[in-house]
Order: sequence, then structure tokens, then C-alpha cells
Amino acid sequence: MEKALELSRYCVPFTPFKRKLEESLICLVSTAGVRARSDPPFNLEGDNSFKRIDGSLSAAELAVDDSHYDHGCIDKDVNCVFPIDRLRSLAREGRIAGLTDQHFSMGFSQALRELRETTVPQLARAVAAARPDAVLLTGG
Amino acid sequence: MVTVQRAIEMLGISSVLITVEPEESAQARPPRALCPRSFVAGHSLGRPNDEALQKWIIMDALELLLADAKPGEVIIRDYT
Repeated sequence: MEKALELSRYCVPFTPFKRKLEESLICLVSTAGVRARSDPPFNLEGDNSFKRIDGSLSAAELAVDDSHYDHGCIDKDVNCVFPIDRLRSLAREGRIAGLTDQHFSMGFSQALRELRETTVPQLARAVAAARPDAVLLTGG
Repeated sequence: MVTVQRAIEMLGISSVLITVEPEESAQARPPRALCPRSFVAGHSLGRPNDEALQKWIIMDALELLLADAKPGEVIIRDYT
């Protein structure tokens, strides 16, 4: 049997957005190594896991594990890379419907094959299970 | 990051990326992406505790969901 086709990187997967933002639940997904302070940290040497972040947490209840960029800003305000308080504020203003019950972050890893074949598909399914109307992604 | 975004879109969920590495992101062909010009890793949403700026960037990113599709491109804007 022939192997299933893989998406060429020249092909861009694209899901049209059919809703209004005011009626949309937004899920945050980051690769900045964000986690709840109460959760164990990401391994800074390389970590292929992703973590779930409860949607009720505020930025002050989050930590960032990373050794690849300057933390001067996020030490003061995690919203600089993971704007959970700002989305909540936009929801209060009625500009979005709200946030999903869970958000997600990955840490740093150079095990690219495992990321591509295992972590990323698992993460995408977990994001889908949170039933967002749209996803906002941030890097560092 | 774009790899994650592309996987999410493949499951039928619309998404938008805020990136501070536009060249790297564009090479990976994101479904939708916004780059605040000259921002660097560690504050892709702007200055700490600048709620107005952070919300402005978020809304610009989310409004790309409603804009004409430019799959694979990174939209670069100034916020200074």
C-alpha cells in the first residue's frame, strides 16, 4: 500500500472563518513555554510536551520557562507573550464572546521529528477538543 | 509555531499567528499571520502593562480572520 500523501510546505491549509468575532470563543496557543505557576516547569534543555492552561487563570498566575529570549518584559507582564488578561478584557467589552476553558503552550525543543509526528498532532487535537471558534497563536 | 498553526487549520479551525520573526514564519507558510514591525521575542504583544497596545494588536490579529485571505503571507504593521 502506498504511503498517505503529506502536505507540501508550499500548500497552505486554510479554514475560512464564518463567524463574528463578538460571537467567538478564542483559544490561546503559544510556544513561549507558558504554564500555570502550580504546574511543574518545562525542561529548558528540551521538552516535547505541551501543557494545558486553565482559562480561569490570570497572567499573574502564569510562569514562563525559557532561556532563549530576554525576559525583562514578561517578568513584569506575561500578557506580553500570552495575553490572557487582555482577551478577558476584550470579552468584557463584548468584542469577542469569551475564552475557551483551556489554553495551551509548548516549550523549547529541537527534537523536530518527534514534535512534528507526535507533539503537534496531539496538541492540535487537544485544541480542537477545547472547541474554539478561532485560535490565537503566539511565539515568544 | 507555524507547524502547530497549520495542524490546527487542518482540523477545520480558523487561526491567526502573532509573530516577531516574519521571515522565518513566512517560509513555513502560515494560514494567517501578523507581525508587529521591529518587535522582538519576549514581547510580541508590546510593552509590559500597556493594555491598550496589547489589545490593539490582538484585535488587528483577530480581524485578519475577517479580512481577504492571504494564506502563506505575514502581514507586517507598525505599532510605534
